[in-house]
Amino acid sequence: MSGTQRSAVPHDHVCWSYDDPAAFDAAARRYLSRGLADGEQVWYVGPERAESARMRLGELPGLDQGLRSGAVRIVATDSAYDKDEKVDPTAQVRAYAAATEAALAEGYTGLRVVAEATDLARTPQQRDLFARYEHLVDRYMWARPFSAMCAYDRRQLGDRAVAELACMHPRTNAPGLLFTLSACGHEQDDCAVLAGELDPSNHELFATALERADLRPVDGRLRLCAPGLRFIDHRCLLHLQEYAARRGATAVLHTPLSAVPRLVELLGLPDVRVEVTR
Amino acid sequence: MRTGAAAGHRGYYHEAACYGSDAELLAVTVPFLLDGVAAGEPTLVALGPRSADLVRSALPADSGVQFLSGGDMYARPTSAIRSYRSLLADLVAQGVGQIRIIGELAPAAFGVTWDWWARYESAINHAYDDFPLWSMCAYDTRITPPHVQADIARTHPRYATAEGRHVPSPDYVHPADYLSENRPPVPDPLQLTPPMVELTDPTASEARRAVYAADQGRLSAGETEDLVVAVSEAVTNGLRHGRPSVRLRLWAGEDRIVVTVTDRGSGPAYPFAGLLPTGDGAAGGLGLWITHQSCNHVVHYRDADGFTVRLTAGNPHFRSDGVAAVDVTAAAAG
Repeated sequence: MSGTQRSAVPHDHVCWSYDDPAAFDAAARRYLSRGLADGEQVWYVGPERAESARMRLGELPGLDQGLRSGAVRIVATDSAYDKDEKVDPTAQVRAYAAATEAALAEGYTGLRVVAEATDLARTPQQRDLFARYEHLVDRYMWARPFSAMCAYDRRQLGDRAVAELACMHPRTNAPGLLFTLSACGHEQDDCAVLAGELDPSNHELFATALERADLRPVDGRLRLCAPGLRFIDHRCLLHLQEYAARRGATAVLHTPLSAVPRLVELLGLPDVRVEVTR
Repeated sequence: MRTGAAAGHRGYYHEAACYGSDAELLAVTVPFLLDGVAAGEPTLVALGPRSADLVRSALPADSGVQFLSGGDMYARPTSAIRSYRSLLADLVAQGVGQIRIIGELAPAAFGVTWDWWARYESAINHAYDDFPLWSMCAYDTRITPPHVQADIARTHPRYATAEGRHVPSPDYVHPADYLSENRPPVPDPLQLTPPMVELTDPTASEARRAVYAADQGRLSAGETEDLVVAVSEAVTNGLRHGRPSVRLRLWAGEDRIVVTVTDRGSGPAYPFAGLLPTGDGAAGGLGLWITHQSCNHVVHYRDADGFTVRLTAGNPHFRSDGVAAVDVTAAAAG
C-alpha cells in the first residue's frame, strides 16, 4: 500500500471506557489476539511495569512466543508518548506512523496497539491535545494499516472527560455517549463522519469536539458525512454555523434526515448546507 | 407615506372584514385593492380559491394586484408569521410607504385547530407592527362559528365594513393579555383512550425513540421526523425549564399521532412563545417556536397537572364526536 492509498474500510479505532480493570484486560486480549491472527504486530502500551503488563496479557494466546519473536511488544507509556505530559498531536501520529512502517518492513501486515492512556488525559489542556491527536490518528488509520484501542479509566477521569475522548472515535463502549465525530475515508478532502444523536444533552460536547477536530475547509467547504446521524437539533446546527463561519467556509452536511434542511431554513443559517442522501 | 384609512398610522393597521355575501366581500375588498394600486403600494391578495376567483373577476384586467396562494401562506401560524415578516421586510427594503394585504384562512381553520389561529390573529398585532402594513382578514360570517367570531372581535383592533367604514372593535384585547390567557384545547378523542406510550422523566433521546417506535407507518417519513424534532424540543423544555416530573404520553390513531408533554411548572412567561422566537436569539427560546413549525397542530395550556404541550402530526382535524374530520373543509364551506 502506498502512502496515498486509502483503505476501503477504516482500521479499527476503538475507545474503551472502563471501570473494571479485569473487563478491560479481557477486551485488550481480544483486541490484540485479533491482530495476531491477522499477522499484525501488536503492542500493549501502559503505565505499569512490564511484568505487571505481562500479567494483564497473561491469557493472550501466543503471548510468550510473540514476546520472543517481537510480534508482541509491551511498551511503557513514557516510551510511546511524550514524557512531558503535553502530547504533540502531529508528532505523536508521526511516531505511530514510523512504528507502523517498521512493522510492515519486518513483514507484519500492520500495527495494532492497545494504549491505556488515562495518564495522558487528566487535565483539560491534556484532553485538548489528546483529543486532537485522536482525530488526526483516526485519519491516519484510513491511510495505513494501524489500529488502536485507547482505554480510559472513568473512575479516575470521570464520565464527562472520557466522553470528550470517546466521541472522537468511530467506535466506543462509553456509556451514554450519543454521538461520535471521526475521520472520513475520502481522499480528496478533510471531511469528517458524524454519527448518532446530537441534542441538548451533548451540544457543548459537540462544539468542543468540532474545535478539537480542527477541520480545515477545502475549496470553501467543510464536509460532514453523516449517514449514521439519527438526530441533530437546532443548538448543534447553530454550533456548526458558527464553526463554519469562523473558518470562512460552508459546512456541508450529508444526511438522510429530511428534517435537517427544514431546520436549517427555519434558523436561516447562511453557512450550513444540507444534502439529503438516500 | 401611508394612504387610506391607515394614513398617519404607525406600524400595523389590522382589520377584520366580516362579510355575509359575495357582494359584501367585493364591496370591502375591491376599493381597498384598487386604491392601493393607485397609490403605488404593493397590494396583495391571499384568499382561498373561491374568494380569490371572485375578487379577480371583479378587478380590471392587469389590475396590478398580486395574488398569493392563501393555502400556502396559511399552512401553520408560525410559518405564516415567518413568511409574511420576510415578505414585508423585503418590500420595506425597497422603500415602499405602505403594503396592503387581504387574506383569508381556510374554513378548516375554524374547527378544532382554531385556537392556534386565534393566537396568530392576536400575535400579529405585535409581529407585524414593525411594518407599514394595512391588512384585512376576511371572514365569511355564513360559515364562521360564533366562538370564532368572538375571538375575531378580541384579536382585531378594528373592522372594515362593506359601507367603507373602519370602526374600532370594542372587544379588542391587547395581545400580551390575550395570549396569556389559558386556552385548554378540545380534547382529541384519542386522548380518551389509554396512551400507547407513557414515560416519566424520559431523556430527549428516549422520547425520540418512542416516537419512531410508535409510528409504524402511520405518518410519512418527513412527518415522523418533524414530530420527533417537536417532541425532542418539548421534552427538553420540560426538563430544562419546567418542574419535575416530566411526563410524555403518546396516542396513535389511523391518521395521526398525538403526543402530550407535561411538567409541573407553569410554562413560558413569554406570551408569544411558539409563535415568535424569543427576541434575544437565545437557543433556549427557539424550541417551542420550532415545534409550532414541525407539527400540524400545537397547543399549550395549564391545568391541575401543570403545563402541557400537545403536538399533533398527521391529520389534526378530528371531530369532537371522535370521527376523523377529513371532510371538515367541505362541510364548513357548504
